[in-house]
Amino acid sequence: MGKIVKGKNKISVPSSLDYLRDVDEFVEGKLKKLGLDQSQLADVAISVTEAVTNAIVHGNKNDRGKKVKIDLKIEKLKIVITVEDQGDGFDPESLSSPVEGENILKKVGRGVFILKSLMDKVNFIFQPEGGTIVKMVKYLKK
Amino acid sequence: MEFTISEKKGVVVISPQGKIMGGPDATELHDKLRNLISQNKKRIVIDLSKVDWMNSTGLGILISALTTIRNNQGELKLANVTEKIEKLLEITRLLTVFERFDSLEKAIESFK
Repeated sequence: MGKIVKGKNKISVPSSLDYLRDVDEFVEGKLKKLGLDQSQLADVAISVTEAVTNAIVHGNKNDRGKKVKIDLKIEKLKIVITVEDQGDGFDPESLSSPVEGENILKKVGRGVFILKSLMDKVNFIFQPEGGTIVKMVKYLKK
Repeated sequence: MEFTISEKKGVVVISPQGKIMGGPDATELHDKLRNLISQNKKRIVIDLSKVDWMNSTGLGILISALTTIRNNQGELKLANVTEKIEKLLEITRLLTVFERFDSLEKAIESFK
């Protein structure tokens, strides 16, 4: 059984949604110190929960022995957040659009769509040795 | 997700609080709805005034609630949808799926 490990701007948690709130509290705690407006703060916080949920459920398949690592880089004009799992990756192109036809009323399948909508840049990095990194950027409003 | 439940003029008002992001309490609302349906209470308003934000799991919970109530010949409406949640409903094209009211009173009155 793993545990939460925190650094200055990073946190890693075992792969269980039981830890989602811990991640959110950590990330929002850091963001609040930057003086972001509520809307920007919520955009980033929502996106982090989407990426972490996907990492836990789809990447690491809820295996508590595997970790999800969240890293925040706070720069002058932007925040860069990476969420890394130990899973086998996926094909982002294969995801069906959640805003077409019958998909609109599905209970699941909106996570990636929402984080792409709320963040300014989103990249998926599939590591050759395994594991997926979601890299998200939000430019700070001045 | 924490929520309170009250009843006004024959309408059940569910008031979630904080952030709706899923996790261990995600199924609690669904269980409660099942319970209400079994008591023949099928006129429901979800008051979102105390919800800071929700993510896709939160939207899934709302859709699941709507589908469950409609499948049991009931009605589910939303009150006090905040700007942030309205934006999420808009980008996911769910805005027209839910009947929304800008106050709890108006939502309750709409059942008459």
